[in-house]
Amino acid sequence: MKQGRLAFDAVELPPEATALRADVRAFLKAEWPAGCWPNSDFGAGHDPAFSRKLGERGWIGMTWPKEHGGGEHSFFERYVVTEELLAAGAPVSAHWIADRQSGPLLLRFGSDVQRRRYLPAIARGECFFSIGMSEPDSGSDLASVRTRADPISGGWRVNGAKIWTTDAHRNHFIIALVRTEPPGENRHAGLSQLIVDLRGEGVAVRPIRNLAGGEDFNEVLFQDCFVPDENVVGEPGNGWTQVTSELGYERSGPERFLSAFRVFVEFVRAAGPNPSEDAAALIGRLASHLMTLRRMSLSVAGMLQNGESPAIEAALVKSLGNDFEKLLPELVRQKIDNLPWRHPLERSLRQTLLYAPSFTLRGGTREILRGVIARGLGLR
Amino acid sequence: MDRLLEETTDRLFADHVHKATLDAAENGEFPSELWSRFHAASLHLVGSPGSDTGWLDLFGVLKVAGRHAAPLPLAEILLAGAIDGAAPEADETRTRAFTTIATDGVAPWARAASRVVTADGEASTDFASRPNTNLAGEPRDEVTLHNATPAPVPEDLAELLALSRVALMAGALERILEMSLEYARVREQFGRPIAKFQAVQHNLAILAGEVAAATCACDAAIAACGTARFSVEVAAAKARVGEAAGVGAEIAHQVHGAMGFTHEHNLHHFTRRLWAWRDEHGREAAWQARLGRRIAAATADRAWAFLVDG
Repeated sequence: MKQGRLAFDAVELPPEATALRADVRAFLKAEWPAGCWPNSDFGAGHDPAFSRKLGERGWIGMTWPKEHGGGEHSFFERYVVTEELLAAGAPVSAHWIADRQSGPLLLRFGSDVQRRRYLPAIARGECFFSIGMSEPDSGSDLASVRTRADPISGGWRVNGAKIWTTDAHRNHFIIALVRTEPPGENRHAGLSQLIVDLRGEGVAVRPIRNLAGGEDFNEVLFQDCFVPDENVVGEPGNGWTQVTSELGYERSGPERFLSAFRVFVEFVRAAGPNPSEDAAALIGRLASHLMTLRRMSLSVAGMLQNGESPAIEAALVKSLGNDFEKLLPELVRQKIDNLPWRHPLERSLRQTLLYAPSFTLRGGTREILRGVIARGLGLR
Repeated sequence: MDRLLEETTDRLFADHVHKATLDAAENGEFPSELWSRFHAASLHLVGSPGSDTGWLDLFGVLKVAGRHAAPLPLAEILLAGAIDGAAPEADETRTRAFTTIATDGVAPWARAASRVVTADGEASTDFASRPNTNLAGEPRDEVTLHNATPAPVPEDLAELLALSRVALMAGALERILEMSLEYARVREQFGRPIAKFQAVQHNLAILAGEVAAATCACDAAIAACGTARFSVEVAAAKARVGEAAGVGAEIAHQVHGAMGFTHEHNLHHFTRRLWAWRDEHGREAAWQARLGRRIAAATADRAWAFLVDG
């Protein structure tokens, strides 16, 4: 980016992406003839069987090299698949993290052995990863993580705890950011990423119930957990560089503004084909935001396609998108009367309102993102 | 937009639009010097048939004009040239000749124009005008045409006019972001630049987000000129950029403090225009409703496809 000015150049989807969109829609229609699943949040449905079906179609690991089970497709094609899945509310949670960031991380920094072992299995929709960044005392201040890995013969002994680990109770691996050297003057030094088997010895997964009653996230405890050398991702000590490189992938996708999309669809349905002026204006207002956010998000996909690392642009898309996801249900609820809880609009509204607090927390809080943007603007 | 054209336009406005030019124009004085420079550079022909330039260039020039708050009725002059080929001839003796466009009996700078085309499809060089202004002090004169003759206008003139305001707003938003960043870096309080305060940084981050969104929405609508998607993209852009104008101007003023509230400071030339332009040719709510009705008619199960494919 140019100093002080963030540019989101328009991208035109290539024809193969448009063709692919039709395939994804046909697949979704066959999978769920009623039209759509009840939610559009990427964390809403964990369904290994569904993930395997996507894997069979080559819709996981789409941008990766063929030798690692990928499809060598463009980021635009991957974008089209992910946005169609989310808009339909398909249960994508199982493979989501592995596809979005663990796979690309291993592709970039992993060893040949790691790539061969994990990437084809991820792409088949059979191997699921969780993120191991936050800890009970380390949230936004990620460099303060205290989980330790001490060198022992043939590997590392890990002690500590990770928290808010989505799907740790049903995924296979976690990539944990750990201290492999005591903190020194440079607090970003001495961090490493380790692949840990979530079902392995010395690992305990404790569910944490959220305010919506869901049990998506967990605490993951490591007690003298042995991790072999071959499970270190990249160079020991290079963890900070690696973990921040994931952020362009993590923060710019359509999941950052579509979490509340189901409410929009159900509001359109409830308003009917001849809505009041008021209802039409709200539909149009929300649509104007959705269309713009999507363009900005696609523009970041274009930067990824060009091999750039659009960390600041991604932070901006996520920040704008998350604020929109929270605004959407608030605006809709002002325009409707009380509905029976079984009503599709009421159900999606309740679900979204209850999950909304997490939108501006997960994957980088609003405050952290604004700090990243401010740095990009040359203010800090 | 053609890079050379953008640079030429930017340079011309940078050299010839000053605080004094803006103040004089807001006192009702037509900026003849600026207009002759613009004319001499043949920029008044941008977008007109046979000019080798198109919609992308026309609206690109308007974006640059917005960045400088150029006090000429450029949207109307260029659109008039593009839609009826009535761009003023290069008549040395009448360099002031230009056509403006009247909507609901109001035309920018009619007092200085030689011809008026109405959105209803009439035109005349014989008209009476009564001076009036928008809230930015830009002339928006009431006109009555005499001896009007039919002048066919395109069906989507309302969209083209709305998009002209979108482009102007996108340019002005970019400018107030630049001004706010610059001011925050030089203004010191409590012994350090206010840019170092987190509360100020967060406001500027929000402003940057609105500006980026506005530019993105504007560019999408410009790119859709001449396609079946045009009216949808313009509706989305006028709604989204109008929202950004309100949020953006508010933050720019907050960052500039009392200094920005003075007439002496330049900021208000941009913020007052943003407040005026978001209302002109359809406020956010009007375009939102237009877009919303299209989506409702497409029905809920096609809503996503509508947003993506049109």
